[in-house]
Amino acid sequence: MRYKVLTVDDSKTVRIIVKKAFKPYDCEILEAANGVEGLAVAAKESPDLILLDVTMPVMDGVEMLTKLKADPALKAIPVMMLTAEGGRDNVLKIAKIGVRDYLVKPFKEEVLIEKCGRIIDLKPLTDGPAKTKSIFDPADILVVEDKPAIVQQIQEGLKHTPWKVRGVATQGEAIDTCTKTPPDVVLVSLSLPEEAAFTLFRLLRTNVKTKYTPVFALVVKTETSQQQQAQTMGFSAIITKPIDAGELETKIAKAMNLDTSQRYYAIESECLVMRLPENCSAPVLAEAAHYLKPKFTEAVDAGHNKVVIDIHQLRNLHMGVIKLLFQAMQTCRELAMQFALVANQHIISECKGFEDTRGWTFYESLDEAKANLGKAGTPAPAQQLAEVA
Amino acid sequence: MPAIADINETLVRTYINRAVSDVFKTMLGREPTFSAQREQVPSTDLPPLDSHRPQVVGTVGFIGDVNGLIYLHLDLAFARVCTCHLLGMTEAELDEAGDDVINDAIGELTNMTVGSFKNGLCDSGYPCKLTIPSIVRGSNFIIEPISSASRHIYYFDCQEHRVVADILIQRDE
Repeated sequence: MRYKVLTVDDSKTVRIIVKKAFKPYDCEILEAANGVEGLAVAAKESPDLILLDVTMPVMDGVEMLTKLKADPALKAIPVMMLTAEGGRDNVLKIAKIGVRDYLVKPFKEEVLIEKCGRIIDLKPLTDGPAKTKSIFDPADILVVEDKPAIVQQIQEGLKHTPWKVRGVATQGEAIDTCTKTPPDVVLVSLSLPEEAAFTLFRLLRTNVKTKYTPVFALVVKTETSQQQQAQTMGFSAIITKPIDAGELETKIAKAMNLDTSQRYYAIESECLVMRLPENCSAPVLAEAAHYLKPKFTEAVDAGHNKVVIDIHQLRNLHMGVIKLLFQAMQTCRELAMQFALVANQHIISECKGFEDTRGWTFYESLDEAKANLGKAGTPAPAQQLAEVA
Repeated sequence: MPAIADINETLVRTYINRAVSDVFKTMLGREPTFSAQREQVPSTDLPPLDSHRPQVVGTVGFIGDVNGLIYLHLDLAFARVCTCHLLGMTEAELDEAGDDVINDAIGELTNMTVGSFKNGLCDSGYPCKLTIPSIVRGSNFIIEPISSASRHIYYFDCQEHRVVADILIQRDE
């Protein structure tokens, strides 16, 4: 939902500053130069927040506020005063009419945004039309942990990614860092002294810049009460120590809503290559399956009708993998794509042990598979499927 | 209510110093330094800034238990710098936007400065309200106060520029 903020000020300068301050956020700024215009815009547009000056020609802010609060249709709109009128008695008098907050000029744009963010749920505007970030894009991960060894483990575990992992030891340092350059994901150790992790979580959630930043809890597996507390508070994910780097990477990618399809699918020499990693855990298979049909369809649409299913990195064959391979072959048949399988000797011999996979034909290298795809003698998709069915 | 006569020079200097510093620091990221003052300036005295350079002067009054007026003098070059900073504009964009934009920006800076000054007076027991800003532009002019007003002029240096606050307060009848 796009919020509407109405700025009522006779100074165009202030209205421009307000617009500038809200520019990074998903909201529409409406303008009025005095109380009369302000009431008219409020009645027509039903803004979610009104920023109101006091001293204005035609109708001043106090009169507009009084009329607004007397109108049953408008009285619920929250009003924040933004004015140079800051004498104690005047502020009290205006506050009694009913305002949600009061900001005295001169003001910093960050303070204005921070105060407005307490009244409406300001969401940062995404840059341009949604270009999905992929796992090959850089990201900034902040680890709040007072044990350097853990920070090091995370840095080591994620060093193959383009992500930058920074470590800080205290809640104060974390807040400073988040204010200067908000990270993409925050990992907080629940073992920080004096429940600092929970305090930090609350602070991050009240800050407009980090309100939607995924925050993960790092916790020892046996500390179930801390895990429960973190879940109740709304931490985005729980990462148990000792940290499984693969699990952490998957969860970070999911939290950042990254396009991870490139892990499994790529177009190489006019051919779609579907590649499964060494360890195909349930989340990995689910991720690969999620992208399967769209990626195959996308390849056909782009003029590529050959697929190499490459499982040579795979250590062990199990039912999850077999199901996924069947799904891939079935999709090939539906889309009239030719395909070839590549595997290592261990997997090839494991396939021979299953009734369903006994008839599969494999190549030992990607190049061999690509070279033979479509040549006479290469098993056609229908044949392969007939053999495996 | 305390007597207007109790609004002495120290009080005026403290409040205007604080007001100019707050506004220029918060809105423009500059730290003006108080450089000089002139007290009980005769009405026929020289203008506060070099009269031959074009000036933009913002004026905002305060009315209530104490009445007065503050003129904030800036030379045109500095007024342009301030406007560009406030609005996030380049000089070229400002040229295109025209003088009204500069007038409005300096009017608002004056409004904030006088607001901050008069909030000090309010909290010291002199309730008053602001008036709407107005702008005087030109060069080679002198503002002459009425005889029943006491006048204080304060000079602030802001890097290579100078800001002058010319304060007129209506004396007790």
